[in-house]
Amino acid sequence: MEKEKTPLFPLNKKSHYLIFCLLMVVILFFAFITATTLGSVDLREESIGKVIINEIAGREVYEPDWEESTAIILWTIRIPRILTAFIVGAGLTLCGILMQVLTKNPLADPYVLGISHGASAGAVSVIMYGYLSFLGGYGTMVGAFAGAVLSIMMALKIATIRNKVTATQLVLAGIAVSALFSAITNFMIYHTKTGSDKVKTATYWMMGSLSGASWEKLKYATIAFVVCFLLIMLLTKQLDVLLLGDDVASTVGVNTDKLKLAIIIIATLLTGIIVSISGTIGFVGLTIPHITRSIVGTKHKWLVPASMLVGGTFLVIADILSRVLVAPEELPIGVVSAFFGAPFFLYLIRKSNSKLGG
Amino acid sequence: MENNALNVKLSVEELKYSINTKVIVDGVSLDVEEGSFVGLVGPNGCGKSTLLKNIYRVYTPSRGAVYIDGKSVLEMSNKESALEMSVMQQENNVEFDMNVFDMVMLGRFAHQKMFHNDMHAEGEIVRAALREVGMEGYEERSFLSLSGGEKQRTLVARALVQQAQLIILDEPTNHLDIGYQYQIMNILKSQDVTVFSSVHDLNIAACYCDKIILMKKGRIYDVGTPEEMFVPSKIKDLFGVDTQISINSVTGKPNVIFMPDVRF
Repeated sequence: MEKEKTPLFPLNKKSHYLIFCLLMVVILFFAFITATTLGSVDLREESIGKVIINEIAGREVYEPDWEESTAIILWTIRIPRILTAFIVGAGLTLCGILMQVLTKNPLADPYVLGISHGASAGAVSVIMYGYLSFLGGYGTMVGAFAGAVLSIMMALKIATIRNKVTATQLVLAGIAVSALFSAITNFMIYHTKTGSDKVKTATYWMMGSLSGASWEKLKYATIAFVVCFLLIMLLTKQLDVLLLGDDVASTVGVNTDKLKLAIIIIATLLTGIIVSISGTIGFVGLTIPHITRSIVGTKHKWLVPASMLVGGTFLVIADILSRVLVAPEELPIGVVSAFFGAPFFLYLIRKSNSKLGG
Repeated sequence: MENNALNVKLSVEELKYSINTKVIVDGVSLDVEEGSFVGLVGPNGCGKSTLLKNIYRVYTPSRGAVYIDGKSVLEMSNKESALEMSVMQQENNVEFDMNVFDMVMLGRFAHQKMFHNDMHAEGEIVRAALREVGMEGYEERSFLSLSGGEKQRTLVARALVQQAQLIILDEPTNHLDIGYQYQIMNILKSQDVTVFSSVHDLNIAACYCDKIILMKKGRIYDVGTPEEMFVPSKIKDLFGVDTQISINSVTGKPNVIFMPDVRF
């Protein structure tokens, strides 16, 4: 009894939690402002608010004291891109949480079931062979989504034994499916002349990029994200119970088969859509849930909203870095998120180990 | 029913469970009377755990049925059966940490609605259960940092807050040292519930159980009181070990002393 009484997680009070969320919103706001001003054309901060208000209102609330091109760059390129970064970051984080619950493994990420390699194979095949070209810019998106769904269906089929899907089987099936699809992708790239534009596009896509962001794509992704987020918020209690393992969860009163099916469907659709607009951005879905969990705890009612904020903000900042670090060139955002995220993640792991005396 | 002194709480009828062609549980029928403490005893691999998992619905029987108070378990939703029976298994490895209070609160799942729960009352139920198992003051502690005995007591508390009239224990005290084994059995014995438990330690079974069900090779071997079941011939037949059995002068229960065939 005389053992230390420090709480398990730093934020065990609701007020602390709300302050944390508020802090993240403030950081997000500043990241948003920074992201709008930085880039190949510099914009003045004062103009930004006015341009946005004018665009939203659909008329000239403020007398334009800026160049026409400024407004176009801001409204049609930068802002959709920033919002896409947020949705992609939040969405990948949500999928990461879901996969971690599904596999009961904190090392799972949204791609654990082979979905990223499936999507890559789909997208690359569209880039390389040009079918679906009647869909224009959406060809790659559709290809990626189809690949994602195909890979997850294969993984599920492999992992189902006697009508039950177990966590270990799922992870193993995911590894096998990933290997298969990455072989297909590499074959397609290897088979095409090196140095061709197609190879460059494909490689760039596979490393993740937000440069193709548009209001249209953002709209689809946002609708999908909001729907998935709300559904998951209804299931938070069941997710908590599922962490204890399928057997325990079912004896406590959760219909685990139904719940797991819901998780798989939601995570697949959302990951598929996100991957199709941004390519595969690694690291976010793995580490943001982990980091947020170490701050607000395991309860999904608190974890899910907070980590959406953290994940979204993280990717907005990563996108800023990807645009400015080697300007006027652009780094793939996947490279940035891993490059800066990994050391931070390692630091957190070391820190939590030393706290436990390990 | 009223003329029966003891109502049957849990009833298993002709339960059969096989994986592919291998029969694990082969036509088991048994009754657990209301308010009794029934022990399931048998060697490793005899199908004890599989039988229990069929009862608490992790496995679905190939044939046969399980009834609680006459209602078929297979026809209940997970939530309904959670209100009828709570299950305590061996501590399983959880990768995600949470505090003891939250861990026990998860046992309230079947009682809670999606929105608008009286969390104050729920919290009181959890605290009362923690008091019951001697874990008061541990509410904020990390579950993963607890010792084996503390973890197991937390899981007992989680089973208690489920407030079911039937508690199934699947090897509840494995890996615990002897003090904790007796402590956990004492806590369970003092509850006003029906308990059906698999038990490894014959002396613990003799001490706490009103009825013993012996199992061998997927079938019921024999059923009776501890005094009737724990006799050298039956134990030899089940476990292949010679025993001396006396009556413990303090508890009045059978004392099983093993005489293994050891050559020095």
